[in-house]
Amino acid sequence: MPELSAITSAFGDALTLHSIMVILGGVLLGYLVGVIPGLNRSVAIAIAIPLTFYMSAYAAIAFLIGLSKGTAAGSAVSAILLNTPGEPSSAATCLDGYPMASNGQPRKALKVGLLASVIGDLLSTLLLIVVVIPFASIALKFGPYELAAILIFALVFIAGMAGGSFLKGMAAGGMGVILGTVGLDPETGAMRFTFGYAELMEGVPILPLVIGTLALSEMFVQLEAYRRNKGGHSIHLANNPNDDLTFKEFKSTLPTIFKSTGVGAFVGALPGLGPSVGSFMAYGLAKRGAKDPDSFGKGNPNGIAAAEAADNAVIPASYIPLFGLGIPGSVSAALLVGAFMIHGIQVGPLMLRDHPQMLFTIFAGMIVASLIMLAIGWYGLRLFAKVTDVPQNIVIPVVIFLCLAGIQVQGYGTFGLLTVFGFAIFGYFLKKHDYSFVTFLVAFIVTPMLEMNLRQAVILSGGEISILLQRPIALVFVVATALLVIHLLWSSYRQYRQRRQTTA
Amino acid sequence: MKKTLLTTAILSAALTVAAGTAHANDFPSKPLTLVVGFGAGGSTDIQARVLANVLEEELGQPVNVVNQPGAGGGVALTRLANNNDEGYTFAFGTSMTITYGPLATETAYQLDDFRYAAGVTLGQSAIVTGEGRPFGDSWESLVEYARENPGTSYATQTALDRMIIEYIAQQEGLDLRIVPTAGGAGMAPLILSGDVDFAYSGGTHSGYAETGEMPVLLSLAEERLVAFPDAPSLQEAGYDINPAEIRVVMVPKNTPDAHVERLAEALEAATQDERFIEITEERILMPVVYLSEEEVTQTLTEQTESYKALIEELGGVPGADE
Repeated sequence: MPELSAITSAFGDALTLHSIMVILGGVLLGYLVGVIPGLNRSVAIAIAIPLTFYMSAYAAIAFLIGLSKGTAAGSAVSAILLNTPGEPSSAATCLDGYPMASNGQPRKALKVGLLASVIGDLLSTLLLIVVVIPFASIALKFGPYELAAILIFALVFIAGMAGGSFLKGMAAGGMGVILGTVGLDPETGAMRFTFGYAELMEGVPILPLVIGTLALSEMFVQLEAYRRNKGGHSIHLANNPNDDLTFKEFKSTLPTIFKSTGVGAFVGALPGLGPSVGSFMAYGLAKRGAKDPDSFGKGNPNGIAAAEAADNAVIPASYIPLFGLGIPGSVSAALLVGAFMIHGIQVGPLMLRDHPQMLFTIFAGMIVASLIMLAIGWYGLRLFAKVTDVPQNIVIPVVIFLCLAGIQVQGYGTFGLLTVFGFAIFGYFLKKHDYSFVTFLVAFIVTPMLEMNLRQAVILSGGEISILLQRPIALVFVVATALLVIHLLWSSYRQYRQRRQTTA
Repeated sequence: MKKTLLTTAILSAALTVAAGTAHANDFPSKPLTLVVGFGAGGSTDIQARVLANVLEEELGQPVNVVNQPGAGGGVALTRLANNNDEGYTFAFGTSMTITYGPLATETAYQLDDFRYAAGVTLGQSAIVTGEGRPFGDSWESLVEYARENPGTSYATQTALDRMIIEYIAQQEGLDLRIVPTAGGAGMAPLILSGDVDFAYSGGTHSGYAETGEMPVLLSLAEERLVAFPDAPSLQEAGYDINPAEIRVVMVPKNTPDAHVERLAEALEAATQDERFIEITEERILMPVVYLSEEEVTQTLTEQTESYKALIEELGGVPGADE
């Protein structure tokens, strides 16, 4: 469907000075956020969305994707030098990265991490581009029946797979669904849960919700941790002549990088699993497949390569369901939906039809971002190594300020400030009690879409459930959802029985 | 130190004098705020930002755009109705918020809480269908088809188009399945895939004018649409409704005459400005016009009255009590 000229001109657009500067800004900021322990990807994207109001839609998305990718690469730095992952998903990088850095090879460890990150990211981006176009062309033929069935399946899948107990996952999803139904009823125009606030008529405003639950609440958690632990000491880069990566050493990690990229991309394409699952799974596989599994955990470069390649491969792959179906499978994808909405574009298969130029420019921008990531990481090695020392007592107040400023910029006024604090407290308790965040956020984002499609399906069918028989794709997903629920309930019941047996 | 104080004193004295000599009619003498009732990036917002730039040059003061999204533009109007700064804050929005809004839902504002400095753009909404339908692309054959096929489906987006279609269904004796959808992005896939027979479209169809994938059955503007001259208007098709959308600039009703006039003058100039014409006619695909305060107020009042009559005829706001 796409013509070659559209693709080449997309690259042309992505290679203008302006867009390179925007992507560079995004990746650089992301890298910094990744390096600083305690600042994570969701915090960064949430507070960066208001910044993008002044950009064109393409620039805004390219900036946010660059930011997202940058955090994944940057988080390796603090994992290696500080033994504290900059992102939870880099915890697997600590296992070999920190021992290697302690043995006097911090530069080598950082370079392995960087190259693995860039290769994982780049290959996964190419996979996204190759897969998403045929995927979206099929999805374009989906009507309300198919979409409703797929959305329900995705929600149950995320609730079950996002970690922790299935019931807590369902509870988190349920809270997202309830918040997602606030506002005018799409069919009758009746007010639901608005409590007389005109501000709530079009639903809970996404920005205060996202900034509150993701960014501000995280700062509360960090503040608490900071009171107990005033931060560690990072390893400094010395001028050790033996401490550099040779081409031969790099070549020896390549097979691990390729395999781990595959693992990461697979995990990323499934909604809800997330980069932590990807990196630990790849690390485990690399260790099991190695000739010398005992050297893992003691500074084996293959351990770093596995964790980082998979961590970075997850992110582009998680955009496959986003661009293909309009379903966000991760927190950062859910935030991108919000950003697209704010810029007046509905993300999903229709983009391929209505804004193909924009879609290809975003893809081209993603490839540019990978290359910029390499350059920034390579030449900024020394600088970023220093950034790991930035004290929390500077980071936390700055982020809180940015959170509140972001709300004011959008013009929500006092109402916005009250909501953002309300959601911050809510998010704090979700985090404390280990309720799945992805499930909550994705459910909130997807609910209006699900409700609309479901009600359309019900009205169009005239209430006849037998219409599903004429809609085989929808039927497959309905059956799959039922089987998934049975499986998840059964396995949580078994876990429950096991726990009772062991305690009894 | 003393010198600085003295300078400050002189400077501020000079400023006071300057401000004092300025005549009350020298509106505006400070920056203005243009309120948009929709989020950043939508078509109203895109247009408002260009309008603000043009007005800035016309009025000689900065014009800041502020988004106050919510309730289909209603949140911004609720705030504007209680504003007392004499025209320094004004809103740019679509007439449906002010005509049908207060009838369909309980709002804290009414049509006569505002003055309408000018109308600057005409809406191009329509009732549309897709390619290759059994009834082709004429309104008459659609009505015939729907009469023979109960359960013909229609996708609605706004409370207003829902009322219009319910009225038509009552007049023609049709049994329609009315499906809700959100915005042109929600409507387009339903129409293009053939899942829905016909639909309301705010402006999405203009983008398909060249390919012919989304033929227009009826124009919901006062006249026929610029890009689809073959489709009749509601009145031509025999329904006595004029739901024409106008994009208007409004101020609270207590704004002094002189200020409203000055704004209107600047708006008239804006409708002749290249940049405003380009963004409106080429990007949003709606015609630029200039309608005076008198014309806009009259049209909106008539529309409100006719909607009230329609609601009465239908026995209540459609959808609200189902």
